[in-house]
Amino acid sequence: MDNFGFLFAANAFVWGGIIYFIYTLKQRNRELEKDVELLKEAISKESR
Amino acid sequence: MSQEKAEGLEEESSILIWLTGFAFIAAMAAIFLFVPTEKTEGPIQRIMYLHIPSAWLSFFAFFIVFISSILFLWKKEREWDIYAYASAEIGVIFCSLVLITGPIWAKPIWGTWWVWDARLTSTLILWLIYVAYLMLRAQTEPGSMRARYAAVLGIVGFLNIPFIHFSVLWWRTFHPQPKVISSEGFGKGMDPSMLTTLGISLGAFTLLYFLLMGQRVRQEKLKDEIDRLKREKIYSS
Repeated sequence: MDNFGFLFAANAFVWGGIIYFIYTLKQRNRELEKDVELLKEAISKESR
Repeated sequence: MSQEKAEGLEEESSILIWLTGFAFIAAMAAIFLFVPTEKTEGPIQRIMYLHIPSAWLSFFAFFIVFISSILFLWKKEREWDIYAYASAEIGVIFCSLVLITGPIWAKPIWGTWWVWDARLTSTLILWLIYVAYLMLRAQTEPGSMRARYAAVLGIVGFLNIPFIHFSVLWWRTFHPQPKVISSEGFGKGMDPSMLTTLGISLGAFTLLYFLLMGQRVRQEKLKDEIDRLKREKIYSS
């Protein structure tokens, strides 16, 4: 009983899922960091 | 956050990234090079080293939701609500992987993708409870009421986990009985090389949980910071 296709599919789902989750997390954090910086800049400009 | 504290956290995070990376390389080497092929199931049995750690990670994540939710209801601190939310999301993702890898493993061994036995059904119910938890958070207005309702659901949902564990002992199920924590003693139902490989994989997934948790908590804190800055901007203009 070999069933390498099933073994490959399980690995693809697990690794694909983990990598996609990490990628979206990193991407979203980068966007949020950018927003924080922009807001800080805008506030400091207004207070001048 | 002070510059020094931010740098310290970044350093801790990069150490964790390296540790997790090494742990996963070791786990993959053990799964595909070290551990012998199981006699009756063949290579497909290697799915176990991803399936069980995914289940462990999701149960651990839901345990953190449970503890954080209790602490939130007790102390009313936003910090605990953040931990619960972040952990619930990670738990749902890994519970989804359990529900995907399980049927992939079952099809060639049992001849079917799914059976409505106690272990599989109770795991599906657990997944549905925490999907409902995430939907509740997404669909209701931010605030203390949302956090309180979510905390109650987070606590109630966790009560399903002991039921999932004992379901294979209480009923006759398709799903195999526990091999690591069994009535014969810890790890007695498994070959030592399999137990070692499973241990390495469990360690790698546990490190991954802390890595993901760090990033997810940071995301929620950044969202809070944006809300605070937006309010500050409105008042200053």
